[in-house]
Amino acid sequence: MTEAHTLAYVQACAVALNLPLDDERATRVALHLQRTCAMAALLDDVPLGPHDELVEIYRPAPYFPPID
Amino acid sequence: MSIGLTVHQIAQAVASGQRSAVQVLEEHIARIEATDPAINAFTSRRFAQARQQATAIDARRQRGEALGSLAGVPFAVKNLFDVAGDVTMAGSAVLRDHPPANRHAVLVERLLAADAVLLGSLNMDEFAYGFTTENHHHGATHNPHRAGHTAGGSSGGSGAAVAAAQVPLTLGSDTNGSIRVPASFCGVWGLKPTLGRLSRRGCYPFVDSLDHLGPLANDVTGLALTYDALQGPDPQDPGCHALGIDPTTEGLHLGTQGLRIGVLGGYFHEQAGPAARAAVEAAATALGARDEVLWPDAAQARAAAFVISASEGGSRHLPLLRRCPEALEPLSVDRFIAGALQPAAWYLRAQRFRHLHRKRVNALFHDWDVLLAPATPLSAPAIGTEWIDINGQRLPCRASIGVLTQPISLSGCPVVAAPLWPAGSDGLPIGVQLIAAPWREDLALRTAHALQASGVARLRPPAA
Repeated sequence: MTEAHTLAYVQACAVALNLPLDDERATRVALHLQRTCAMAALLDDVPLGPHDELVEIYRPAPYFPPID
Repeated sequence: MSIGLTVHQIAQAVASGQRSAVQVLEEHIARIEATDPAINAFTSRRFAQARQQATAIDARRQRGEALGSLAGVPFAVKNLFDVAGDVTMAGSAVLRDHPPANRHAVLVERLLAADAVLLGSLNMDEFAYGFTTENHHHGATHNPHRAGHTAGGSSGGSGAAVAAAQVPLTLGSDTNGSIRVPASFCGVWGLKPTLGRLSRRGCYPFVDSLDHLGPLANDVTGLALTYDALQGPDPQDPGCHALGIDPTTEGLHLGTQGLRIGVLGGYFHEQAGPAARAAVEAAATALGARDEVLWPDAAQARAAAFVISASEGGSRHLPLLRRCPEALEPLSVDRFIAGALQPAAWYLRAQRFRHLHRKRVNALFHDWDVLLAPATPLSAPAIGTEWIDINGQRLPCRASIGVLTQPISLSGCPVVAAPLWPAGSDGLPIGVQLIAAPWREDLALRTAHALQASGVARLRPPAA
């Protein structure tokens, strides 16, 4: 992602999340997000298959019917 | 005078009647009042309640009742632990008007049940997102060994209070290094237990997937005694996976004979400055560790911890980020927003990588018992430092201090941070991580005890 792409992404996502951002803050946030983007790219290089699950998956709690 | 005595020495002295809990308490209160204007470790004090508690402990001893394992030991907690009657601030001003906690956090209750005496709450980075305790609401916490330098974070008050001999024992939290970094910068002992070992109930969360709680102390026996007192299952905390208590204190004297101790190279060498490398070398020499070991996918593990923290932290605080960003810490608010905006694909890939990584880390411990690595790439920088240089790389200071702790956070392995004082750090400490397999805190603590006995790792008196 270029700086311009990141800034555009930040501004669009902020609207989607109803997060008010002025231009100055959006620029600073985009800088942080670009650093994280570089981190995320490191993980893209790790081969993961369809059966590599999330580290923990949801477990339903025991169900007890209500007592009248 | 009880100032500077270890946790164990104080507990023994109070239990035997050699010193009263009230006497110990008053000496520590005087120490806090004399030093905290310069250090700014405490955000709230509960001296009146502490006096009542110490008086009650002394009365019980006089009646011949048995006292707890931490009898009369003064302690304080990072201000994200609930303390009954106080507002849990979590380093933020926006929580100031929230109602006070109606009960103590589980770990606070357990220390009080062991007869430790609670003196107050301690400074931190807002919502635990930082490594420097530069807090605009409460002021920065200063390093007791060098005024004007950071105490580390996010449990900076917890590290500084022990280093300044204000209390011999504190509690902190560690998501990406927040116990180990202040332990390193302040030159005290810290323990990040296995993820899921201790109850987190009653603590203000940062990152559910990575939050750990643990103690900082002025010696290893105190660290182990405290850790043992903190242990126990908690069926009401879904993040607590402990089924029982695995005591560690009695095994400390077993030493390192038979333990396979290695030194992490590769990433952990490349990301460490010369003084941090010297600290590890000194620890390795003292422990007879010669072999270099590679931590699996260390850079990716750090990246995954970074991505998960940003996403969960940002998402948690999205309502505040929408409503009042100007009221939040200026040093972290933009990072929180960036985290809230991260694509879900980044977060999910990090969590899927973590599954794979766990297998690789556990496989590593088939061949090793304890692994050594620096806790921080350098010693405590000056407050306000924006950039640091690590072996010719110019890096943003606040984001890079955790570069050596974050990879270990991801796996949830237990780590003791040991205080060393290497040449080339201008008289400041740098911590060494003693890392063991998940659920083997006993091995990390045994190794720490041996390192302390060698004289290589120890506390030094504060500057003032």
